[in-house]
Order: sequence, then structure tokens, then C-alpha cells
Amino acid sequence: MRKQNAKIKSLKLKVLIFSFCFSLFTFNSTLSTCDAKIYIDITSPSGKRLPIAVQELSGGEGKNISDIISADLDFTGLFHCLDRASFIETSVHPFNPGNWSMIGAEAVVKGSVNGDQNLSVAISLYDVFESREIFRREYKGEKGSVRLLAHTISNDIYRQITGEAGIFTTRVAFVAEDEGKKGLYIMDWDGSGIKRFGIKGDFVLTPHWSKDGSKLLYSSERGGQWGIYLLEFTKMTEKNIFSSKGLNMTGNFFPDGDEIMLSSSRDETYGLYSLKISDLRLSRITSSRWIDISPAVSPDGKLVAFVSDRGGTPQIYIMSRNGYDVRRLTFEGSYNTSPSWSPAGDKIVFVGMYSGKRQIFIFNTDGSGLAQLTESGNNEDPSFSPDSRHIIFSSDRDGVNGIYIMRTSGESQKRITPSWLRTFSPRWSPN
Amino acid sequence: MKKFFVVVLVLALGLIFAGCAQKAATKSEQPMETAQKAAAVEAEKKVEPAAPAKEEPKKVETMAVKEVEAKSAPLAFENIHFDFDKYNIRDDAKPALKSTADWLVKNKSSKMLIEGHCDERGTSEYNLALGERRAKSTRDYLVSSGVTKDRLDMVSYGKEKPLCNEHNEDCWQKNRRAQFTIKGAAK
Repeated sequence: MRKQNAKIKSLKLKVLIFSFCFSLFTFNSTLSTCDAKIYIDITSPSGKRLPIAVQELSGGEGKNISDIISADLDFTGLFHCLDRASFIETSVHPFNPGNWSMIGAEAVVKGSVNGDQNLSVAISLYDVFESREIFRREYKGEKGSVRLLAHTISNDIYRQITGEAGIFTTRVAFVAEDEGKKGLYIMDWDGSGIKRFGIKGDFVLTPHWSKDGSKLLYSSERGGQWGIYLLEFTKMTEKNIFSSKGLNMTGNFFPDGDEIMLSSSRDETYGLYSLKISDLRLSRITSSRWIDISPAVSPDGKLVAFVSDRGGTPQIYIMSRNGYDVRRLTFEGSYNTSPSWSPAGDKIVFVGMYSGKRQIFIFNTDGSGLAQLTESGNNEDPSFSPDSRHIIFSSDRDGVNGIYIMRTSGESQKRITPSWLRTFSPRWSPN
Repeated sequence: MKKFFVVVLVLALGLIFAGCAQKAATKSEQPMETAQKAAAVEAEKKVEPAAPAKEEPKKVETMAVKEVEAKSAPLAFENIHFDFDKYNIRDDAKPALKSTADWLVKNKSSKMLIEGHCDERGTSEYNLALGERRAKSTRDYLVSSGVTKDRLDMVSYGKEKPLCNEHNEDCWQKNRRAQFTIKGAAK
């Protein structure tokens, strides 16, 4: 008996040890997916900026490129770009972690530029704590495209450190006024490289991007009629895809890139319609005696937010894409319009009028968590950046209508268009 | 037994942390996959000035010229105005509308465009819808005064075409209007 008990006891212990080791093993396996070190967790609200040193690259365009990279990283609010005047190491000397830990840098960007018209840029990203290079790449481009090249580098650095895609090569399409006419324009996300599209008409409304960034959709008034037009970048062609009597205003694309939402008063009643661009098939989604306008398709294509005055005043509603389950979302104030979805699909930004002024508001897609983001001047036409971290909008707070950017918290509001151009209705490209 | 157990535990934990660190180091030493955009910035990625949109080839038609009756007509039709956020025809607008209607009834060959406008307050798209409503009430009033519907076209400009830019009620009232232009001969 005793021998048996001893055996059982010893067996129990063995099982215990085995199961313990086994659980450690599986624990180890799950831990092994900790993969690349995450330097910045962009979802964490800690607010601590990563101290990064962006050294001036050696070579002709070196300073220009490093300045652009610094500005890009600084803009995100996730980095603290250290002052170059404090750097101990020079551009030509190899990376020595001691030189950088001394000034508090945790990451360092170094590199060189070769060539005059055809640039060849070598970039290295170093981890100071681990004393090693964690990223290296060579970039080639023409001097004329140096800004795009620098922004591409910023995207790569951003992805290395946060694991997420950066927005530095994105563009903004917008409306600007020139000699009393409103035309369609485009610029880099940081306000540089403003160009105008040579299209007809004296008035154009908010442009909407296709998901692949190759097309722009907009409403334009020509000869007393509002029509909806599609501009294709690759061919630089414009096509009139919808025209009728009455007021026609385009909404945005469904995720498939072929179908769009629009509002039309073609039969003298306001309705929201969906239109398939490939065969120009129109389907009516809402029918009412009231004003139903400004449809905004959700990123997953299942819901449509819109503006309706069916309750007596203009308010924001939401419905399924086929027109069912209409629910009201805004209950504060008597004027709420211009809804726009975050690409992440969890927030809607819009305009509310208070004390005669138009302000930007944000809430969750069920209408909860309402927050006011602007206070000065009149602010309109808000929409999100492709990474859902920033909001772009127009404001007259400085006297001349301009386009501004801010974080989704409302912080860091700054103007990105020049004061000599009256600008409106910005929309950030998806890529 | 206990000692053995503790030793196993310590060894196992040691292995975990060493393994994790090793794995992290190995993984990050490997070159990262290509980022979204190609590293090589090619000439196709145009940053040069956008060429004007290609124009559709136009047919050149011969335009018929119709003789117009030499009747005295007001050069411009008086604008009518609306209350804030409203599109109903006010009593003070009726005399002007009556005179416009009278002219249209006498000049049956003319077509008219009614424009609806708003003041700067409010957002662009909703103001366009409101402007359209103003154009429509105006159109309906003219129809009830004897003008045939097919001679009256409507367009809204919302707050896009103001007559003045001051931020006061005087200017706002001027902008909250319906405006009339002769479009050409009715067919």
C-alpha cells in the first residue's frame, strides 16, 4: 500500500510539473508574437512623445529633406524632434549610441544624399537603447519631387516606430475661390504644391475621393444646372455622371468604388439616391416631403448618415444603406448638418450652429459622446484624415476662409492654406 | 522534490525571457516589408502642374436667331426677399411678383430662370436646398398668377453667390432672395 501511495504521489507531482512546464511553453509561444519592438503605441493615451533626433543628411538636398521629415514627425504629436544644435555627432560620423543617449534621444535618423538632379538618398534609423540600426533603405527620385521623396521616408520611419501607415504622402482636394468663381484644387496634405484643375463651371461643391485615390466626385453648377461629375486622375478626364432639373449634390462612394450616394430634387421632392457609375443606374433610397440631403456612406458601406429637416429643423439621421431603420442622431441644438465618417468607422464629425456660429462637433456613431471641437469663427465641412487621427475643415476665424487641421481631440488647430486664397470644403485623400 | 520543482521553475522562466528577447531581436533585424508607396519615386507619380481636364469635342451648330417683339420690358426684374430660414412668399414680395408675372403673361415667348439664394449663415449644402425651396415657392406663385410652368426654370445657388459680404442683418436680408433672368425664347 505504501509503495502504491508513494508511486501515486510521485506521479501526481510529475503531472503537476509537466502541466506547469507545458503551460509555460504555450505562454512562451504566445509571447513570441511580441515580434518587432513597438516604440510608440499610437492607441495608448499616455501622451509621452518619443525623443527622436533627425540629423541633417549630408549632401545637397540633405537639409531640405531632414527638415521635411522633422516637420512630418512633429506634426503627429507622437514625436519630440530634438534640436539639431544640441547634437554632438556630425552627419559624416558613424552612429555612436553614446552621443545620442547623452542628449536624451531614443531614436536617430541619419543619412546621405547623392546626385544633383537625380537624387539617391540613403536613410538609416537607429535604436539608441539597443545600440543598433533597425531600418535602412535607399530612395531614388528627381530633385523636382524631393518633397514627395522626403514624405515617403517619413512614412517609412513612422511605420517602423508605430507599426502604422503614415499620412505624409497624402493630398487634399478642395474648393477655392478665384475672381468670384469657385474651382476644384488639390494640394499636399501640408498645404504645399497647390494646383487647380482646369474644369468648367463657376461653382463646385465638396469633392469626394474614391477609395483607391484615383477619382474625384463633385457637384458643379453649369448653365443654371447642378450636375455630378467624375474626374479621373490617370486620364485627367471629367465625365458628367448625373444631371437633371433641380438640385443635385453628390455624396461619397460606397466601398466598391462603383456606387455613390447623392441627393436630388429632380421631381421637385428631395430624395436620396444611389447611383451605379458603371451603368448609371439610379435607385431611390428615401422619399419624403422634407429636405433629405448630404448622404454620407459609412466606411463599411452598410450605413448612411444624412441631413433631414423631417423633425422641423435640419438634424443628422442614420439609416441602413437601403433606407430602412432611420434613426435620429442629433438632439442638441436646432441646426446640425454636414456629417462625415472616420475611416475607422467609429466616429462621425459634423457642424452644429450655436449662437449664430457654426462649430465642429464629434460623436460616436450612435450619437453618444458628443464633444465640441472648435470655438472661434465659423467652421464648416469637417472630414477625417485616412488614419482617423486628424480632422480637416474650413474656417473663417482669421478673416479669409482657410483650411485647417486639428487632432480628433480638437488640439493643435492650425491653418494649412495661404492667406491669399479663399479655400473651402477640404477632403483628405485615402492614400 | 521541492528544490527540484523550484529549479525547474527558475529554468523555465529563464528560458521564456531569453527566448522572447532573442525572437524580438531576430525579427527586428530582418528588413521590414515594403511600405505602402514604392521607395523609388517614379516620374509617373506626377507632382507637376495638373493638365487641364480634357474637353469633350464640341459640335459647332448654327444658332437660330428669332425676332423679338419690340415691346417695352423692364431690364431687370425686382428681387424678392425671404425671412431667415423660411421659403414662404411674404406679403411684401407679392407686388413685385405680380409685375413679373404680368410681363411674362404678355411676353409668352420668353423663358425665365428663377434663382434661389440664402445668406451666409448655415452650411453650404443645406443652404442650397433652402435656396431651391425659395426658387420653387416663387415659381409656384408665378404659376398661380397665370404663367405656364414649362417657361419657368429654377436653380439654387445657396450662399455661394452673395450680393454683399457684410455680417449684418441688412446684408443678410439682401442675400435671402429670389432673382430673375430671362433665359431666352420658349420653344
